[in-house]
Amino acid sequence: MDKLMSDLKSQIIAQLNLQDTKPEDIGDDQPLFVEGLGLDSIDALELIVLLQQHYKIKLSNAEEGPKVFKSVRTMAEYITAHQAQNA
Amino acid sequence: MYIRATGNISPQKTFGHGPIDEAPVVYNGNRLVAIEPDYKDIIDPKLIRRMSRIIRMGVAAAMECLQEANVKMPDAIVTGTAYGCLEDTNSFLSKMVQFNEELLTPTAFIQSTHNTIGAQIGLMLQCNNYNNAFVHRGFSFESALLDGMMLIKENEAGNVLVGAIDEIINASHTILNRLGLYKQSNICNLDIYQSTSKGTIAGEGATFFLLANEPSNTDYAKLDGLHTFYKPASVTEVEQQVNNFLQKHQIGIGDIDLIITGKNGDAASDKIYDALSTSIFNGKAAINYKHLCGEYPTAAAFAVWLAAKILKTQKLPAIIDSHQFTEKKIKKILVYNQYLGIHHSLTLLSAC
Repeated sequence: MDKLMSDLKSQIIAQLNLQDTKPEDIGDDQPLFVEGLGLDSIDALELIVLLQQHYKIKLSNAEEGPKVFKSVRTMAEYITAHQAQNA
Repeated sequence: MYIRATGNISPQKTFGHGPIDEAPVVYNGNRLVAIEPDYKDIIDPKLIRRMSRIIRMGVAAAMECLQEANVKMPDAIVTGTAYGCLEDTNSFLSKMVQFNEELLTPTAFIQSTHNTIGAQIGLMLQCNNYNNAFVHRGFSFESALLDGMMLIKENEAGNVLVGAIDEIINASHTILNRLGLYKQSNICNLDIYQSTSKGTIAGEGATFFLLANEPSNTDYAKLDGLHTFYKPASVTEVEQQVNNFLQKHQIGIGDIDLIITGKNGDAASDKIYDALSTSIFNGKAAINYKHLCGEYPTAAAFAVWLAAKILKTQKLPAIIDSHQFTEKKIKKILVYNQYLGIHHSLTLLSAC
C-alpha cells in the first residue's frame, strides 16, 4: 500500500503538472480537492484518466468519484480492491 | 486612435518597459525561440500549471500591456493567432493515437483551442466584455487589429486589448521545415538578408497593444490606418496598393520617415521587397525586423510594436542596424509585411 501511495503521488504531480509540489508534500490522508491540494473538476477528469492509463481501471459510476478521490489513501484502496477483484 | 501601451515576448529581450539598449540576441540555426520572463511574478501559480508555453507568453504579454496602461478592465479583448495553442493540440492528438482514441487528456483538449489565450485573459480579469479571436493565417493579427480599430471608431469601446500570439513547437517546426519554409543550411539570424537560398528562419512571439480612443501623455503612437490585400498579381499592384493606402490618408510616400519591411531572407519572398526598394520605396530609410523575431504568420505584430517603440522614444533600438537611418524626427512609419507572398498588410503609424 505504501509503495502504491508513493507511486500515486508522483503520478498525480505529473498528470496535474503540480509545479513546486513534491511527493512528500502530499499527505496520505490529505484531501485532494478544495481545502487540501485545491484540485477542481478538471483535475477530477485528469484523475479518472490517470486511473485508466496507469491501472486500467474505468470509473464507470460517477457517483463513486468523491469517495474514490477523497485522498491518496482512498485512491490506493480503490485500486487495490479493484485489482483483487480482477485477480 | 492611440497605442497607449504594449507588451511583447519575443526571441529578443523585449519583455519589460525599459529601453532596448542591448545588442540583438544571436541565434545559429533556423529557429528563434522566445525569451520568456519569470511567470511566477505575473501569473497565479495555481493557474500557471494548466497553461502551456504559448498561453503563458500570451497572458504575460497582455498583463504587462494592461499594467503599463493602468487599465484593469479593457472594453474588449481581441486576439489573432494562425497556429493556436500547438503544444496542447499536439499533446492531445498524440495521446489520442497513443491510447487508441480512448484516453484524452482534458486539460490539453480544453486549452488547445485558438481562443484560449483571449479567454484566459478574460477569465483572469473577470472581464465579460467583448472577446474575440481571429484565425486567418497570415492575416490573423491584422484582422484582430482591424476589429479593435473598428470597435473604437464605432464607439463600441473606449479601449481595446489587441494581441497576436504564435508559437513554434518541435512537431510544427519539423513539418514546416519539410515543406521548405526554413533554410536548410546553418545560418546566423543576423546574416539572413545576405542569404540567397530558399527558406527563412522560424520565429514566434506574443505581442499585445492597448488601443485607446483618447490621447494620454504616455502614448506610444497614433495608429492611423491598416490595409490588407491578398495575393497581388504583380509588383505594380503592390505599388498601387501602397499609393492608394497613403492617398486615403492624404499623404504621399515623401511623408513617410521610415519604412519597416518584412524581409525574411527567403530569396523568393524577398523579391517583392527588393523590387519596391528600387521603385516606390527608393531612397527611403528602411529597416527590417525578422532577424530579430523570425518568420511566423503574426510577425507583423512585432513590426508594429517596433514602430510604436521607435515613435515613442524617437530613436532606433540598438537591436536594429541603423546604418541607413537619418537623425531627423520620425513622424510617420509605414509597416509593410507579407506572409508567403499571399497575405500582404500595410500599417501606418505616426508620432503623438
